[in-house]
Amino acid sequence: MKHPFLESDLYYNFKRTPIAVLSFFVFLIIVIMAIFADIIAPHTPFEPLTLNLLNGFTPPMQANEFTGTIFLMGTDDQGRDLFSTILFGLRISLFVGLMAVFLAMVIGVTLGLIAGFVGGVVDTVIMRFADIQITFPSILVAMLIYGVAKGLLPPDLRYEMSITVLIISIGLSEWVPFARTVRGSTLVEKEKEYVISARMLGLSYPQIMVRHILPNILSPVLVIATITFALAIITEATLSFLGVGVPTTKPSLGTLIRIGQDFLFSGEWWILLFPALTLLLLALSINLFGDWLRDMLNPKLK
Amino acid sequence: MSFLLVNQLSRIFDLSEPWILRKIKGQQKKLLKAVDKVNFSIERGQTYALVGESGSGKSTIAMMVAGLIKPSSGFITIDGYNFFSPTIENNIKSSLRKSVQMIFQSPYASLNPRWRVGEVLKEPIKAFNLIESENGQKQRVCELLEQVGLSERDINKFPHEFSGGQRQRICIARSLASEPKLIICDEPTSALDVSVQAQVLNLLKDLQKQFSLTYLFISHDLAVVSTMANRIGVLKQGILVEEASPNKLFEKPEHDYTKMLLSAAPDIKNVSKIP
Repeated sequence: MKHPFLESDLYYNFKRTPIAVLSFFVFLIIVIMAIFADIIAPHTPFEPLTLNLLNGFTPPMQANEFTGTIFLMGTDDQGRDLFSTILFGLRISLFVGLMAVFLAMVIGVTLGLIAGFVGGVVDTVIMRFADIQITFPSILVAMLIYGVAKGLLPPDLRYEMSITVLIISIGLSEWVPFARTVRGSTLVEKEKEYVISARMLGLSYPQIMVRHILPNILSPVLVIATITFALAIITEATLSFLGVGVPTTKPSLGTLIRIGQDFLFSGEWWILLFPALTLLLLALSINLFGDWLRDMLNPKLK
Repeated sequence: MSFLLVNQLSRIFDLSEPWILRKIKGQQKKLLKAVDKVNFSIERGQTYALVGESGSGKSTIAMMVAGLIKPSSGFITIDGYNFFSPTIENNIKSSLRKSVQMIFQSPYASLNPRWRVGEVLKEPIKAFNLIESENGQKQRVCELLEQVGLSERDINKFPHEFSGGQRQRICIARSLASEPKLIICDEPTSALDVSVQAQVLNLLKDLQKQFSLTYLFISHDLAVVSTMANRIGVLKQGILVEEASPNKLFEKPEHDYTKMLLSAAPDIKNVSKIP
């Protein structure tokens, strides 16, 4: 027997939308390459012993003039193979993006549910706070949180915790869209009679919110999560580009772009181009897939 | 004393703007009297119907009887207990919740679309700790399905796999699950086909006999009300303008509003007279 998903409308439409299929597989390939970076990458860019400074600034697909080695995407100033560095950088970018979206989703969905279901003063306080936060660009909010957190941490922990701090600051800067959407859907759902009948059983507010309302408002959350995922990866890259993100020894895509930027005008274009292209491809594929998902899950467009 | 007693029940909704805006614009508070000093009572095993137009306060009364909206003044007692009495103990409140259940107008919105029928019917059993064992719960669910004319096989289906009338049967089964004494029927048939309406009404009548249920029946359909009710109360803008037995109300309506409602009801006998 076929799995029910293979017979669903979602899958049927997916097969017939080339953009959705293409973006999904591009994303899948990027993720697989990041996960299996250890196997795919020609060498580990974080092992100083495997690096040869003579390999520095080798252009892509050309033999190095001293060692004769060929690199798929060339090397940077320290002779690190760019292809390997990008694979390992993707890992960090994807991990930070995923965790940040998860954090933003948990915060946003919880606050949105409470605001919508409880209403009154609680609703006003939460939503006005969200309004205030959304007037600042999320990158500024993330930088502020990042700066404060770094200042509060003891100096010996700052280096180790930098990825955690990054995740928290991006997560806290992206929760508002989740909260707004969830609040709206909750306001609609809570008037429906199945919720009233649950209230007649004397169930507590958290029980009704989690067991009855939450499963029925998840589809818009899924769409926002996809689009926020792309946003979070870009925010991480921006922060790393500005030098406040992950340390240079564990470069993410943004860090690589920053390093590449130093050499752009001296003719070593590939050091900037390949990380930037990877970031573009990643964000674009997630966004296109997210757009398709939004159209599919929006009952008004059906 | 009557089983359900509604005494001088009023509910006022505050529709005014926030205090600060009111002060700036110099407006008074906007208050809506949804229900105004309503009195009625129902004896055990009887059906009392509330009729009236949209916005006449029928559903507000239903929600107050169900204990979901607090009355502004007046009180309701069910079997002698009051949901909103300040001295009520938690175990009495819980048993009161158990003994009052509700059937809603829309069979589409009244079932959680992501829950299977079995889960829907198990919920009240679990919420009131009626049956501990998994097997016992399943047996009870099958029994409930049979009582409303559905079969055991439906236990794993989702609500969207049923027709409107079948969904309303599931809702009735859910309301029976906690073995209630009073069921509030808030326009239970107005979203259904005429042929299905009759089936659901007959089912409600049979169940009433079987479990000696008391019904508070809310409707705007006078034909439905005449077959179901022992007493009828007519509501107009939150005020109970007339109360009588169905025979008397249909033969000799006293209040002008009741006459208007009766003349507004479409009657199949008059259709042939239209040239």
